[in-house]
Amino acid sequence: MNIETFVQEFAEQFDEIPADQFAADTLFKENDEWSSMTALSVIAMVDQNYSVRLTGDDVRKSSTIEDIYNIVASKQNA
Amino acid sequence: MIQLPAHQYGLIFRLVEEQDAEFILSLRTDPRLAKHVSPVSNELEAQQAWIRKYKEREARGLEYYFLYTDEQNEPLGVFRLYNIEHNTVTSGSWLAKSGQDELNSIRADLFLTTAIFEEFKFDRCVIDVRKDNKKLLRYHKMFFTVTSEDDLNVYMYMNAADYQRKKEFLTSIIQPSI
Repeated sequence: MNIETFVQEFAEQFDEIPADQFAADTLFKENDEWSSMTALSVIAMVDQNYSVRLTGDDVRKSSTIEDIYNIVASKQNA
Repeated sequence: MIQLPAHQYGLIFRLVEEQDAEFILSLRTDPRLAKHVSPVSNELEAQQAWIRKYKEREARGLEYYFLYTDEQNEPLGVFRLYNIEHNTVTSGSWLAKSGQDELNSIRADLFLTTAIFEEFKFDRCVIDVRKDNKKLLRYHKMFFTVTSEDDLNVYMYMNAADYQRKKEFLTSIIQPSI
């Protein structure tokens, strides 16, 4: 698991924003496309690619993509 | 049969009434929200008349149009069950106010799916999703089976086994304690 791949996979859940506009420190809730459906897409992607189940609280307390990445990494190591 | 209003997951679910016309119209005429739904007249009177007709269908058990609010009765979104035939129902007409807690639509979807299979006891739920609504399509493909498609829509169904998988998934996300 590495952060560059994760950022790319995270960016793919957004249909209207080019992937090159995402970085580890991107505040992903501050763009117009963020919604419950995007949150579900991210949760589903993490479930399928990393076998980790994110919760709503995990998403709620995260601001950057790296925050989500760190939660996924910690749950994988738990 | 389902008991309404239902207080679940911190939201209140009830059936649409004529006085909800203004809220529904505000959703259906919001350009950002309405890009994936059928165009409607922007006249309040037409929306009220549509709801009056709907209430007749509701009374005959042909259709159920739900609205959910927060605990302060602030309306947040709507969805509809229609085309009720034998043990099958169509769900759709989803619209949710922008800027609310991103988990509310997930809570509402969990309520709806549970209502379909456990309260109304349907065996099968069908939906059609606009092809250009990519995120919604990705989401539904996790639990629904595609039956066909045309230029505009993809048509899918969910059975009771699919529902159990979806319920487990959504419940684990929202961890309902309310």
